Amino acid sequence: MPDLLAKRRTAPSLSVTCLGYRYPNAERPALEDVSLELAAGTFALLAGRSGSGKSTLLRAACGLVPHFHGGEVCGGVEVAGLDALAAGPGELARVCGFVAQDPETQVVSTTVAAEIGLPLELHGDAPASRARAVEEAALALAIPHLLDRTVDSLSGGELQRVALAAALVTRPQLILLDEPTSQLDPVAGDELIWLLRRLNEEWGVGVLLAEHRLERCLAAADRVVAMDSGRIGFDGDPRGFLEWAQEADPALETPAARLFTLAGLEPLPTGVRDARAILGRVSQGWGDLRSPKLVDAGAPPPRRDPPAATVRNLWVELERDEAIHDVLRGIDLRVARGERIALMGRNGAGKSTLLRTLAGILEPVRGRVEMRGGMALLTQNPGDYLVRERVAEELPGEEGIAALRLVGLEHAVDRDPRDLSGGERQRLALAITMAGRLEGERLPGLVAFDEPTRGMDRARKDVLVELIEELAALGAGLVVATHDVEFAAAFAERVVLLGDGVVIADGDAAEILSGGWYFATEVARVLGLPGTITAEDGAAALLEGRGPRG
Amino acid sequence: MRSPFAYNPRSAPLQNASTGAAVAYLGSFAIVAFLYSSPLVLAAVAAGALLAGITAGAGRAAFAGLRMGLGLALLIVVVNALVVDRGETVLLRLGEAPLLGRVDVTAEAIAAGAVIGMRAAAVMVAFAVYSACVDPDRVLRALRPYAGRSALTAALISRLVPVAAADAARLREAGRLRGPAAEPLGRGALARRLLTGSLDRAVDVAATLELRGYGLGVRYEGDSRRTSRHDMRFILAGGALAAAAIAGRLLGADVFHAYPSLEIVAEPGTLVISATAVAAGLAPWRKGARGA
Repeated sequence: MPDLLAKRRTAPSLSVTCLGYRYPNAERPALEDVSLELAAGTFALLAGRSGSGKSTLLRAACGLVPHFHGGEVCGGVEVAGLDALAAGPGELARVCGFVAQDPETQVVSTTVAAEIGLPLELHGDAPASRARAVEEAALALAIPHLLDRTVDSLSGGELQRVALAAALVTRPQLILLDEPTSQLDPVAGDELIWLLRRLNEEWGVGVLLAEHRLERCLAAADRVVAMDSGRIGFDGDPRGFLEWAQEADPALETPAARLFTLAGLEPLPTGVRDARAILGRVSQGWGDLRSPKLVDAGAPPPRRDPPAATVRNLWVELERDEAIHDVLRGIDLRVARGERIALMGRNGAGKSTLLRTLAGILEPVRGRVEMRGGMALLTQNPGDYLVRERVAEELPGEEGIAALRLVGLEHAVDRDPRDLSGGERQRLALAITMAGRLEGERLPGLVAFDEPTRGMDRARKDVLVELIEELAALGAGLVVATHDVEFAAAFAERVVLLGDGVVIADGDAAEILSGGWYFATEVARVLGLPGTITAEDGAAALLEGRGPRG
Repeated sequence: MRSPFAYNPRSAPLQNASTGAAVAYLGSFAIVAFLYSSPLVLAAVAAGALLAGITAGAGRAAFAGLRMGLGLALLIVVVNALVVDRGETVLLRLGEAPLLGRVDVTAEAIAAGAVIGMRAAAVMVAFAVYSACVDPDRVLRALRPYAGRSALTAALISRLVPVAAADAARLREAGRLRGPAAEPLGRGALARRLLTGSLDRAVDVAATLELRGYGLGVRYEGDSRRTSRHDMRFILAGGALAAAAIAGRLLGADVFHAYPSLEIVAEPGTLVISATAVAAGLAPWRKGARGA
């Protein structure tokens, strides 16, 4: 036994040898000839487009593949010296933790404290040591105030942190994370990445993190592994990855790297600090970068009439853990037809509640909502709209076909919605909400999306942006609740920032997304130029020789 | 909005009772419902389970279970009346129908359907109270010695109802947001989607359980064996109800025959079982407690 323990301490966190895997009944393999070795204590980022094999590789590392999912597997996987293909997830749970994409499927207990303590209980820890470990894990993730809450009263972001605490509480040698920031606001997302970095440095925990929003975590990573159609496309350091992505798959470039590519600057930056340092070196005459400043709620942009929706002094109460809370407090909002608004704010700020109130699902306790032409709302789980086994059964008749045509799915009438890709399912759900409301007076005044970019790569986000612009061109006002700052910069002309149930900023997107720190794009944080939020605008500014202001 | 069937932790005797005592108590209502066909006993079982829910502070769950049960009962009555042509008292002659052949609606078939429906309703009320009052965490722990190698079994038993309840709330909400030309949600589609979706999600939950180490088989100092000072009253109430029901059956209580003609006798044994079932519903009562 001591030999085994010593081997585990010195063994690589993860060693994958010629791994191939095919899910049951799948036409093509999900992984092919994957070989990879992570030294103990490495912080590695797993990049790649949707469907490239990132999640499958993580599931192979934690033993769910093939022990839980079945299928055909070849090659080998070792985690901290344990043979993952032989050991299975239960035994591997001693040495590695796993946090999956959807936090709702990762909670198995009733209360937060029980959820975090469950792995220790199942590992046979005594109650006293369990209590201490639960407290420490909760403190590390800044959730001690949630310990007594029931899990069904938590927001998505809070659930994600609870799931991470449950994965970390056993102090594993390797932690595997599948898009853990997809439901987190920019503040919590950044905090999570740096928390992982701190755990990596102080506790020596190896980290393998799959992410689409690379700009959030590239600077924290020691190494990047890029998956491409089930194979490893790149394996090296972050700067090498950016150079590879520039040639092989520009959709994987970070905004700062894209800024540099468009401006013809080198080397490509791995993060904001790196970008500013490089800019400082290559453009001596531009002077020092100005410190970012917070933007106060300014005057909203000019309004177009008639409004699609008007909200006056809206107050909404919700029950949570047998207590009543004011979730929205005196919201005033006016949305013009054709206007594209990003609704942003921290987890729990009231974004989803506002959308659900506008859609008539929740009743305000005070205030008024005036809506012209009704509202189409796509909630966070598009799968909730899909209840039949054929697309045509969901959307029958000519009007159904018209709705499918709007989202580019008219070819899929005979398909089972469950067989569609994630992006197609989302578009089908949108077609269901829009069916019969595509023309003239029937067109909804407002179309709203609640966190539509969860699990989406940049290519799929670009398709969504086109769809939003198309709907706005039809005359609908668009309100999209999102944590994705880069996505907001791509589609929004106006940003409404909520904080604890009140509007704390409402103005032009370029102004809001370049004025703060957390709710600002990477390009804005690099350049610090008011109104410059996209790589294209930033590159134009650099090429014109404006540069960062001193 | 929180599902009425979701477990609601509160400091009340039934919620504090050990898993075994709570399951034995609520299970005794289901045992009686399956053993007896007398409408009087079945009504008493439903009333007893409802009373148990109200006194345990889970009235919302109990009434929601009753509403669902009565809806199901009505469906069973209609289907049984249409497909069963036994019975001497013909109330309606509907002629020939495709697949069904000659359709004669008899009073006996309606009564037989009503009994099956009442049984289903009574069991659903008891199950609704179980779902709202018995902590799934403790059920999970209690199951581990028996289903230690199968996280899926444990997840299905302990989590299927809470997961289905949460899914149902979300699906109904999405149903309200469908466009006018989309096919309406519909109860059948909702039920099918709930079943498949809940099974899928239970599989995900089972995967999480495996990852947490459920299958390790390590003995631990948990509270699965925790007992409560209220255990004895639930074991006694459930035991008394089940024993009375079994004894009653052995002594010939429960005289109910639907075919060929209705025969219902409310003899003393049936009345005693009915009274015991209603009285058992008071077991969770606590002096000074308020119902929810």
